[in-house]
Parts: sequence; structure tokens; C-alpha cells
Amino acid sequence: MAIPQVISGPSVPQPRISRRAVLKGSAATAVAIGVAALPSACATVEQHVPGTSSGPLCKGKVIDCHAHLTHRSRATWEADDRKLIEAADKLGIDQLCCSTLTPRRPATADGFRECNRWTADGMRRFPGRVLGYCYVNPGYGREALEEIRRCVEERRFVGIKLYNEYTCTEPVVFPIVELATELGVPILHHASHSHYFVEDQPRMSDGGHLAELARRYPEAMLICAHISGGGDWEWTIKALRNVPSVLLDTSGSVTDEGTVEMAAAVVGVDRLVFGCDSSMTAGVGKIRGANLSAQDKEKILSGNMMRLLRRRKS
Amino acid sequence: MIVDVNAYLGHFAFRRLRHNTAASLLALMDSKRIDKAVVSSVSAITYRNAQAGNEEVAEEVRGHSDRLIPFAVINPFYAGWQDDLQICREEFDITGLRLYPKWHNYQLSSPCCRELVNAATERGMVISIPIRVEDNRQRSWLLNIPDVPLEEIVELVKACPKARFILLNGIGYTGCPLGRRDNGLPSNYAIELSRLSAVLANELGQLITNLGAERVMFGTGMPFNYPDPALVKLEVLDASEADKEKIRSQNAMTWLRL
Repeated sequence: MAIPQVISGPSVPQPRISRRAVLKGSAATAVAIGVAALPSACATVEQHVPGTSSGPLCKGKVIDCHAHLTHRSRATWEADDRKLIEAADKLGIDQLCCSTLTPRRPATADGFRECNRWTADGMRRFPGRVLGYCYVNPGYGREALEEIRRCVEERRFVGIKLYNEYTCTEPVVFPIVELATELGVPILHHASHSHYFVEDQPRMSDGGHLAELARRYPEAMLICAHISGGGDWEWTIKALRNVPSVLLDTSGSVTDEGTVEMAAAVVGVDRLVFGCDSSMTAGVGKIRGANLSAQDKEKILSGNMMRLLRRRKS
Repeated sequence: MIVDVNAYLGHFAFRRLRHNTAASLLALMDSKRIDKAVVSSVSAITYRNAQAGNEEVAEEVRGHSDRLIPFAVINPFYAGWQDDLQICREEFDITGLRLYPKWHNYQLSSPCCRELVNAATERGMVISIPIRVEDNRQRSWLLNIPDVPLEEIVELVKACPKARFILLNGIGYTGCPLGRRDNGLPSNYAIELSRLSAVLANELGQLITNLGAERVMFGTGMPFNYPDPALVKLEVLDASEADKEKIRSQNAMTWLRL
């Protein structure tokens, strides 16, 4: 089956775009990922998703490493969550690693615990599709650590989401990183680098901060969020060149041509993970448009994230 | 047939662009099955004398007029813009403009700008306005260029009802009169889709509902952007094939008299 293209022709009804068709166009000849070899600890990740096992173009999964469920203070949260899954269906995204964030930050302990309960509920509502990230504010110390342990060990969350309450090099963050390493789960860390002070995010981390944190904790699995999230992505990619334990998430609304290729050239394709962060067609389109081999795209779309998730220790 | 109303040639001052010559852009278009593209000078965004960029584009597209449709970048506050407009229209056979009011530091409401819009309209030219060039969060330390506020566009389309505008690189139209049904505005503007959502909030679908598919045009922003996100939007858009065909090419062909 050919890669879906918009072509000229008579105005006849088109078949609906099938789930898998759009993204699978980016990896038409790729080798399937060996999902069966995953340890049982990753069972949550490996639940069968109806309709995804026999895609005509790619047998491998597509995992969005950066997604969000809607906070329930928003009246439309349930419909919004459903739209997220429907969008994933249209775009051929099999699984979404989701956190729920408080509308205002810094999050309170009650606030992030409530968010994580809702994320767990999302995992139940969309089994096999939604994988959970545990969101905490590191400033709550013991409560944050207890929440992570509860979410990872009891609720089977796959990782931790840290936002902008603290810069990741602040000591208050270190116990979180140490626990993540103990549990063998990744931390997706909000990050961006602008050449001006971002007043509403005074403690935002950037690629340089994440590199510093990675040098302190080389065993930690860190994901630098959304290199296409609006900051200077060339700066971010270069800042992370020499820290092999940090992966770069391709999500964000910016679709600058060449971003993915530069990231692949500078840090290596093994360190890139596909994400959308709610910019769905941007996320999918930039991978499809990147001038990389099908095998490389397969790594970005799922292989690298699955490699991280296999390192879980419980 | 796919017509891209939002493409560029030349160099950007703050980031290396690939596929930014006629030959390389055409190769990219071929690989994506994009038949025609409206192109203007990237360099003219930051050149003081924008006409030098127009001259570069006119030279670059020579021999490719079947596929590359040049638009001129004119700064109505720069000396000799009337001469530049005349040269672009009559010598270079350029059929449209791109305006950069924030980059060139003028107001869309200024008399000079209105004079330019009227002069271009009298010549049958289409006027496109990129709401932004790039995401402001990645801006250079040298400058801080805001997006063009949509409210300023509202005033412009009202004040120049005979002009025809294509709005590029914008978002949030449904939050202002431009994207609302029965908005009382003249139907003299079309909206290009490169930054519109086609899923989740689905602003693209809302605009088709509110304004009609006749008012939406396909565009990519290449070579600033990957063309694929815009193509993906069309693929997943929940619209009739007839409406998609209007967006892909028919609307642009009509407006540009191709």
C-alpha cells in the first residue's frame, strides 16, 4: 500500500483515513519492533490494541511519549479525552503516555494526587491506549515520593512527569530522580530555551539543565520535552549532544523543517522519541516529513520509547 | 492538483533554510506532489530594501512560472515603493503581495499601508499577510517581533472591501470575528491552513462550517516548515472530497487566476 497522499482527481467520496495509515506512511518498510520480547513488567504497555496488529505498512507500534488528559475542572474533559483518542486513531498512534496537569502551578500535593487518580482512571477508560505518567511537584518531598511509588508500583504508571515548579538542577528534584532510577522509569521533563527570561516560567528547565542533571545521575532516564515546543531547538539539541542518557521528545507545535534531521545528526536517532503534546498533526507530520530511513523512524516512533520502558524494575 | 499559497525562497537571517532555491523547492514539491506554490522572498523580510529580495525571487523563478508564482514583499514606508510595485507587477509579472507590518514596523491602519493595498488592488493583485514568520519563543536575542493581531486584520478587511487578502500562518480565527459565521465582514479574505488544527479543537473544520470551504486555502510554509503537517491535516480532515478539492487547489486557482 502506498503512502497516503493528497492527489488530484474527481470529486468522489474518499474512504475514511484508517487508523495507522497516516503515520505508517513514514515507515512503510520498517522492521517490526519485537514487542513480544518485553518483560512482564511492561504488560501494561503491551496490551493488545484492537486493529493495530496487522497494519499494512508497519507492524510496529507508534507511541506518543508526550500527551495529556484534560483536567476535570474543564467541563468538556470527558469529550476532550475522547477526542484525543479519536485523533490518535486517525493518525495511527497506538499508545499515548499521558499525564494530567493542574491548571495552575505550582501544584499542591492534593492537586497532583487528584490529577494522578484521573490519569489512572484514563488508563481504565482507554485500556491499552493510555499509559500513565505520574505528575508531582518535587517541592512536596515525601508526599511526592510516596505518590510516585504508589502510581508506578500499584497503578502501573510508566513514568514521571515534571513540569516547571523547579528547575531540574535544584536539589529538591534529586530525590525524585533517585527514585525514578530505583524504579527504572523515565522522567519526562518540561523544557524550553528562549533567549529571554520567560516571566511566567521563572524556573523552567532547558537542555543545559537536563544535561547537568544527567551528568549527576547518568543512570537516570531523562526525556527533554518538546524540542519543537517553541524555544530555540537548535540550542537545545546542541546542549544535549554529549549526554547520552537524555532522550529528546520531538513534540510541540513548531514544524520547522530540518528539526528532526538535525536532532538525529547531532544526538543520534537512538535518542529521539516521538511525541505530539496535543499538537497532533504537527507531531505526526514532522516525523513523516523528516528525511530519515524507515528504520530510523521506527526507532523514533516507538522503538526507543519501548527500550526505555523495558528498563522498569518492578 | 495541490496549490500551496504559503511558500518562500531565499535566506532567513536567523536560521538556515533548506529547499530554499527554486530547484530545491521544486524537488521538495515533487516529492510531496505539490503542483504549484506561491513564493516570496524570505530575505526581503529583513532586507531594508525589500525590492532586492523581489528581484532575487523574480530571477529565481524564471523558467518555472508554470509552478512557482511569485509574490512581492513591499514595505509601504520605504522610499520608492510605488516604483517597486510597478516594476513587480509590470516587469516581473508578479500578481500578489506579502506584507510584514510588524517586521517592517508599520501599522496596517496607516495611510501609507492603505495606499499600498489600494494600489495593489487596482492592479488586480492579491495581498497575503503572514500573521507570523516563526514562533516568537525561539526568537533571536536581537529582536522581538510580535504576531500581527487579528483585530488589526479585521479593521483592514473592513476598510478595504475591494481588496483580496490571504491570511497566512495564523491561528485563533474562531476566537475573533474573522472566523465567525455572519460576522458582518466582507468576504474578501481567505485563511490558509498551515497552523490550524484539524483534530482536537479542529479549527479548520470550524472555519469550513462558519465561512465555507471557499474561504480556506492549502499552505505549508515551506521551506520554513515541513510540508507534511499541512498535508496530514487535509488527509484527516472530516470534509467532503468536493470541499477538500476547493481547499487543495480550486480556491487558490480562482483567486490567483491560474
